[in-house]
Amino acid sequence: MTDVSLRRRTVKPTRAAATLTYHGILIVLTALYIFPVVWAVSMSLRTNENMFHADQLIPHPITFEHYENLFGILPDFGRYVLNTLVIAVLGTVGTLASSSLAGYAMARFRFAGRNVLLLLLLLTLMVPAQATLIPQYVWFRDLGWLNTPLPIIIPLLFGSAFASFFFRQYFLTLPRELEAAASIDGAGPWRTFVQVIVPNAGPAYLALGLLTFVQLWNSFFVNSVYLTSQDSWVLTQALQSLVGRYNSQYGEIMAGVTLVSLPVIVAYLIFQRWIVRGIAMSGLAN
Amino acid sequence: MSSRETPHPRRGILRRRSSLRTREARTGYLFVLPQVVGLVAFIGVPLVASLGYSFTHWDLIAPAPEFVGFDNWAAMLQDPRVPAVLLNTGKFILLGTTSFLLFSLIAALITYTPRRFVGVYRAIIFLPYVLSQIAVGVVWRWMFNTESGPLTVVLEAVGIRSPDWLLDPATAMTSIAIMTTWQGIGYGLTLFVAGLSGVPEPLIEAARIDGANVVQRFFHIILPLISPTVFFLTVTSLIGALQLFDPVVAMTSSSAGVAGAGGPDNSTRTIVLYMYNQLFNLSEAKSGLGYAAALAWMLAFLTFLITAIQFAVGRRTIYYEAGQQSRGRSRRRARTENTHD
Repeated sequence: MTDVSLRRRTVKPTRAAATLTYHGILIVLTALYIFPVVWAVSMSLRTNENMFHADQLIPHPITFEHYENLFGILPDFGRYVLNTLVIAVLGTVGTLASSSLAGYAMARFRFAGRNVLLLLLLLTLMVPAQATLIPQYVWFRDLGWLNTPLPIIIPLLFGSAFASFFFRQYFLTLPRELEAAASIDGAGPWRTFVQVIVPNAGPAYLALGLLTFVQLWNSFFVNSVYLTSQDSWVLTQALQSLVGRYNSQYGEIMAGVTLVSLPVIVAYLIFQRWIVRGIAMSGLAN
Repeated sequence: MSSRETPHPRRGILRRRSSLRTREARTGYLFVLPQVVGLVAFIGVPLVASLGYSFTHWDLIAPAPEFVGFDNWAAMLQDPRVPAVLLNTGKFILLGTTSFLLFSLIAALITYTPRRFVGVYRAIIFLPYVLSQIAVGVVWRWMFNTESGPLTVVLEAVGIRSPDWLLDPATAMTSIAIMTTWQGIGYGLTLFVAGLSGVPEPLIEAARIDGANVVQRFFHIILPLISPTVFFLTVTSLIGALQLFDPVVAMTSSSAGVAGAGGPDNSTRTIVLYMYNQLFNLSEAKSGLGYAAALAWMLAFLTFLITAIQFAVGRRTIYYEAGQQSRGRSRRRARTENTHD
């Protein structure tokens, strides 16, 4: 590239101009794109008098009164955080454990029905959660599990079709020499899996773990079916409850939005590469 | 493997190989056991049981459901709300899915070239995708506010009469589609960039030398090569669009909560929202668990039908052969099959 541009000196200024235009346009576009998020955070920090002023992108003065009010409207906020965390953490751990086992078996072991299982898993990606929800709702109600996180966590302990397929695709890319070396050392399949395969599949666990965690943290539909009593709510339900009742209190609503989104944004900023890679891998899986 | 087995007499090999194989199969079954139990208990059985419930009437208060034959299905065919929610969902698919695919592809084409900072641009565009649809919906509810919302203010500042967005039945679903498109572009962009990175640069260069312009290069070289990604995104985003729920709740619910969502004038009521309200008897004329189960099965059937049509069309139009991903995959498959025995 540099050679070419040195030889064709006349082209250089126009190319620089093109690059500059490109970055100029993209900076404006991405700034506009992220505007709603920035504006929401900004609104949560404004005084009520300044709420609708266009020059308040960076609030002056900054106030935290809306956050205080929010904890007044939702005194159990800490509880909602805890409820959400319990579901997201246990659900993620369960999905990773069961699905990585299934994915590994489908990638490496030969057993009758393996391809049928794979096909069934792919078919279930098509089944809407709503079509399996109603009988489960009746069962969990009869077990007395409504308003507990159990109806959401227990099914996840048995893995998810998407995650198992994801792990299968990943394990297919690992070299078989890993197992060969372990079997020379006399390790059985369980020890090989735990001591050799899992440590070598870090990227897959991290990527899928992050995706699952974020998805569970953000979910609303299933929670709103099972968790109807207010002290069993998760964060998205608490946030949703503000909308109808406190429509005009934008500061408080945006404070809620910011608090619910903040952990995910922080996780995204730290693990951006892994989350994006996980998404890209999930696309290639098909 | 073979070097270890050659010294043994032939019979011994066979016996040993078969016992090895049963042991391998047994381990395999143990490994997939949790997932298989999950598949049966939380998808297979409920799917069938759901169909069973669709032939019953139950308010969840009576001790047991009452068998009513095809009543729910007959009621569904006569319920004027059903074509209405199908139409609303269809409108969302038409607007939301199309714009999602189109803008994701455009964003990918703009940012996939290896220039400086493209990673930063992509990271910013991806951010909304990791946020909750409820949180994002609440923010966009404000964006669409007709009194002091940013969109209205900007449009009116440049002299355009702003539509009434979420307050007008004609534009409410469009507003929701704008929000979901905005949130989803980062995801589509990521997959398209992954697909585009598989397009061999020399091929595009060769076409350029042969005199193909940008448009020709896109439609005759790039698009066929990324058609597997287009197909994957179309199938998955349509499945998701059929289940639209969270954004509608966040953007249209009233003080009555979810029961008040779907307005104005029922213009954003989707299949799943209707099913949800039926399940919990929320202000609906015909209601109950059985009717909700029938609606859920209609949704499952519709999903299956639309996906099957896409696969039938896709088989004829997708170009898999030269794509680097699929070539890599078949090579990998060949390798794993060789090493099995």
